[in-house]
Amino acid sequence: MAELLTLAVIGVGSYAMRAAFLVTARHQPPAPVRRLLPYIGPAVLAAIALPAFVAPRGSVSFIGTVPALLAAVVAWMAWRCAQKNLPIALFGGLAVWWLTSWALGAA
Amino acid sequence: MSTATQARAPVVTRACRDAIPVVLAYTPFGLALGATLAATHIPPLIAWSSSPLLFSGAAQLLAVQLLGAGASVGVVVLGTLVVNARMLLYGAALAPYTAAWPGRWRWLGAYLLIDPVYALAVNRFQGPDNGAARDRLRYYLAVGLILWTAWMALTAAGVLLGGALPTSLPLDRIAPLTFLLLLLPMLTSRPAYAAAATGGLVAVVTSGLPLGLGLLAGAAAGIAVGGYLAGRRG
Repeated sequence: MAELLTLAVIGVGSYAMRAAFLVTARHQPPAPVRRLLPYIGPAVLAAIALPAFVAPRGSVSFIGTVPALLAAVVAWMAWRCAQKNLPIALFGGLAVWWLTSWALGAA
Repeated sequence: MSTATQARAPVVTRACRDAIPVVLAYTPFGLALGATLAATHIPPLIAWSSSPLLFSGAAQLLAVQLLGAGASVGVVVLGTLVVNARMLLYGAALAPYTAAWPGRWRWLGAYLLIDPVYALAVNRFQGPDNGAARDRLRYYLAVGLILWTAWMALTAAGVLLGGALPTSLPLDRIAPLTFLLLLLPMLTSRPAYAAAATGGLVAVVTSGLPLGLGLLAGAAAGIAVGGYLAGRRG
C-alpha cells in the first residue's frame, strides 16, 4: 500500500509539471522565452539519446560505443532514405547494433 | 457519413498513421518494461499501476526499481520528479498551440503529454499544414489516446508474460534509437542542430550527475545555445 501511495504522489507531481504551462496556455510567455521554445525538443531528446549511444553500458568502451554510434548513423540514414519511415529506421539501426556487437564480441 | 465525421476523418487518420509506427517502435520497450516491473519485489498489480499513474517509461522504471530496492519515499519521489521535469519544458513548448483549446481538454491533454506525443504534436503543429485549433486538438488527443492505450496494454502484457520473455530483449537499445528518430524531424534549422548537438554533448559530459541531472543540464545548455543562435540570425 505504501508503494501505491508513493506512485500516486509521483503521479500527481508529474501531472502538475505537465499541466503547469498547458493549462495556463492563454497567458503568452514573454518574447525571450518564446524564442527558446522551438529548441526544447531538439535539446531534450538529444540529451536523452546521445549519452545512451556514447556510453550504452554506463561507460565509454570500444565494444559498447562503436556498435551504438554505428546503429545511430544507420538509423538516421535509413530514416532519410526510407521517406522518414520510423519502423524501417528503428529495426535497421537495431540490426546493425546487434550485428556489430556480435562481430566485435566474436572477434 | 455525416459532415462532421468527414471533416474529422483526415486529422484522425493522419494521427493514426503517425502514431502506429511509434507504437510498433515502443512494443519491445513496453513489453520489456512490464517484465522488469514484474521482476521487482513489488506486487505486480501495484507495479503496473505506475503505467496509468505516471504514464512515463523512464520514470516508471526508476520509481519501481528504487521502491523495490527499499529506497526512502523522499528519494523515490524526488528522483522520479527530476527525471520527469522535462515535461515542464514540453508543456511550455506546446502551450502556444493549445491556447485556444477549451480548458477541460487542456487538462486532459496534460495527462497525455509524453515524449512521443510531444514530438509528433510539435512536428505537426510547426509544419505548414498545422490546421485550426480544433484540428490540432483532435490530432493531439488521437495520438495521445492511441499511445496511452498501447502503453497500458503493452506494459500489462509484459507484466503477465514476465519470465516468458527472453532476458536478452534489447530494452537499452530500442529506447535511444526511438528518441533519435523522434528528434530527427525537429532538425529543421541550424539553431535546432546546434541545440541538439549541445544538449547531447553536455548530457554526455554530465552523465555522472545523480538523479538524471545530466539530462536537465544538457537540455538547459542546448536550449540556451539554440535560442542564442536564433537571436543572432534575427
